[in-house]
Amino acid sequence: MSDRISQHASHCILCGKCLQVCPLLRATGREELGPRSKSDLCRVLAEDPGRLSEVDVARLAGLCLGCGRCREVCSQGQDVPGLVAALRGAHPNFRSWLWKTWLTRARQLWSPGSKAAGLIPERFRTEKLGPMLKMLTGMTGGPGLDPFLTPKTFPDTYRGERMLLFAGCTANYVQGRWLMAALRLLDGLGADILPDGFVCCGSGLKGAGFADEAGAMAERNVAVWREAGRPRVAVFCASCLAGLAAYDRFESDEERTQWAESLLPLSVAVRDIGFVISDNASERIGYHHPCHAGKGDPDRVFLRHALGDRLIAETDRECCGFGGVMRLAAPGLTEPVNRQCWDALRDADMVLSGCSACLAQLSATAPDRVKVGHWLETIG
Amino acid sequence: MPQYAKSLTAAHRAFLTDLFPGDGCVLETEQLNAFSTDASRRRAMPWAAVRPESREQVVELLRWADAERMPVYPRARATGQVGNTVPLWGGVTVSLLRMNRIIDISERDFAAEVEPGVITSDFQEACAGKGLFYPPDPASVKISTMGGNISTCAGGLRAVKYGVTRDWVLGLEAVLPGGRTLTMGGRSHKDVVGLDLKRLFVGADGKLGLITRATVKLIPLPATSSSVLVGFADLATSMDGAMAVFGAGLLPCACEFMDATTLKAVRMGGDIPLAEEAQAALLFKFDGTPEGVAAEVERLREALRPVRPVSIEVGEGEAEEAVWAARRDISPGSYRLRPNKLSEDLSVPRGRVPELVRIAHEAGRDAGLPVLCYGHLGDGNIHTNIMHDAERPDEVRAAHRVKERLFRTAVELGGTISGEHGTGLTKASFVPEQLGAEQVRVMEAVRRVFDPHEIMNPGKGW
Repeated sequence: MSDRISQHASHCILCGKCLQVCPLLRATGREELGPRSKSDLCRVLAEDPGRLSEVDVARLAGLCLGCGRCREVCSQGQDVPGLVAALRGAHPNFRSWLWKTWLTRARQLWSPGSKAAGLIPERFRTEKLGPMLKMLTGMTGGPGLDPFLTPKTFPDTYRGERMLLFAGCTANYVQGRWLMAALRLLDGLGADILPDGFVCCGSGLKGAGFADEAGAMAERNVAVWREAGRPRVAVFCASCLAGLAAYDRFESDEERTQWAESLLPLSVAVRDIGFVISDNASERIGYHHPCHAGKGDPDRVFLRHALGDRLIAETDRECCGFGGVMRLAAPGLTEPVNRQCWDALRDADMVLSGCSACLAQLSATAPDRVKVGHWLETIG
Repeated sequence: MPQYAKSLTAAHRAFLTDLFPGDGCVLETEQLNAFSTDASRRRAMPWAAVRPESREQVVELLRWADAERMPVYPRARATGQVGNTVPLWGGVTVSLLRMNRIIDISERDFAAEVEPGVITSDFQEACAGKGLFYPPDPASVKISTMGGNISTCAGGLRAVKYGVTRDWVLGLEAVLPGGRTLTMGGRSHKDVVGLDLKRLFVGADGKLGLITRATVKLIPLPATSSSVLVGFADLATSMDGAMAVFGAGLLPCACEFMDATTLKAVRMGGDIPLAEEAQAALLFKFDGTPEGVAAEVERLREALRPVRPVSIEVGEGEAEEAVWAARRDISPGSYRLRPNKLSEDLSVPRGRVPELVRIAHEAGRDAGLPVLCYGHLGDGNIHTNIMHDAERPDEVRAAHRVKERLFRTAVELGGTISGEHGTGLTKASFVPEQLGAEQVRVMEAVRRVFDPHEIMNPGKGW
């Protein structure tokens, strides 16, 4: 067993607190898919290697959505997604290669891939591939939502401040409208947005077991920030933000603290902007809380304030079921998770969120009558 | 000892995969590992695990298991502390997580019907949506199930006012070995006809049959609650404080106690709203109407005045959670003192709690180990955590000596070795000492009426 696996293997006291939050366990009723079982499986593997096959352990433990909710509630600091990533890293397969290629070549693949997926005739969209192809098609988001929030007054909080904007791969390569809306808001706030050379946040690769590649991306992004004079970094994707916040290679503890403090969710920056809601706004808006947004979820705070009574449904413990590399390994398992999510949003005719992965998944699985988009699309 | 099946044959496998198609039957070693342990951290591998979705499947399973003398181990979320779900003799583990429907919550009958795999806090939330209240609240309420709570007769913080799970079960449907279905009780809140068989199932730890449906009693949801964290200069004063509160005619819905060692562990994790000089604390909770709760909190202050507490912190509304943070941090916080613990839940008559706590401290001192005493003072159910380092054999031996001394003390004080957790594997050996030979004989005879071949959860204590 590699050090990367064994460093995660021994903290679990089997209390079961994580069972409360695991969306996969809740949706499937399969105890072996819960975080406690995965921790224990690795403990047994470490203590009694002859009893279990590491390859089979990696395959079973790899059935993890990577939502990170179990890590948040664990009193022992057990990091099951980290453990799963280490197992995936030690046992790479074709699916993880495919996932890695998809993430590392986003610039070349995402937009053409999305278009190509849309061209595949309906009859070739098998049950297994159908949702995946629909997700790829949906990444460009079609025409997007009709904006209904117009900024009227801007606070001076960030006026004149030099800032970086971490847009993330989705906004950079397929959802340019998110990037444009973010830049318009930051311009209105008077922030001075610096040119950047950011690459992918690396969180998708890290979860899939490509620790070295993800580490290189982290180092590159921190270097960009360092060279820019360590300014604040505005972020509008919850998963990117969680990925950036988890970086762990810094020059000093002081720099680590500085990095953590520099990360600014865009929804926090825009909270004090005065918006006017136009008449075309839906009165039945739902909000999907991304797993990676954590308890505080600044997007949710912003939208509750901005939308008032129009926000009629919210998810909380429900995961969208995107699942990263697991989606390729076991698409059937993500479906019941996704169903529970839509069940919680059933009364909404428009669903907003702030995570590019969640949005790709929700766009691909939305009922016909429901529009899905990033909250940035609502801003005109 | 009955003769059990020695392993799973090809015919057994064929039967199980036929009855539980797809992912309903688990046979792979790596997957089965999940069903080998629970919060007790004891371990034994089952030969198979199945996931029934209907009573009919359970009927067929128990008909087969009885004929084959196959050990059957019921299981839901497996959050129990004593190893009740550990499949000691192999056999088939039955996961009831897929029988998880809330069938009905009736505002007219003040009763609800559920399947065993419903998560208890989900059920409480659904009841609250209709202005109804199901009070049992074991610490595991958010992660454990109604079926598990019934099988273990789960208690919890609110037991002092509302009683334990047993007090809320009106009816049960259970499948017995051989495939018979027994329907006991119903929605009537009163019923004196015949023996109260359903109560035998509550706390039987799955030894009589598999519960497939439960009917429980509900009451109106209290409108509000307030909590009060009170600090005392020493242990004796805190006990006087509790006496004073109950003596004043107050009945809180929770009355939790924390001793000096417990407070030390919690304080290591951060500030708590309690005076620094406090060496013992009581945490009260009152629920009811806003006027009633406010009046009770005021009466509490008055009742406590003569015993001179060192601090009183009242938490209402959103601030209520802050006064509970200390209590919630005890279990994880205890590991700040030592990496391992023996966690016991002795229960004694309320008036004997001071003696139990004194002896626990004495035993800890003699053994050189920290012993935390905390928990449900209101009903005499004190949790003792005997902290030790499992890497050190001398500490492990000392911890077990403390445990045995405390078990004997609880019984001598007219109490029990377990108020909530049960006996399972970890306390099984001590059961005859508490119950005596005659009670154990009668219990075994009763068990064989339901389960003649003792296939249900074999190998565990009463």
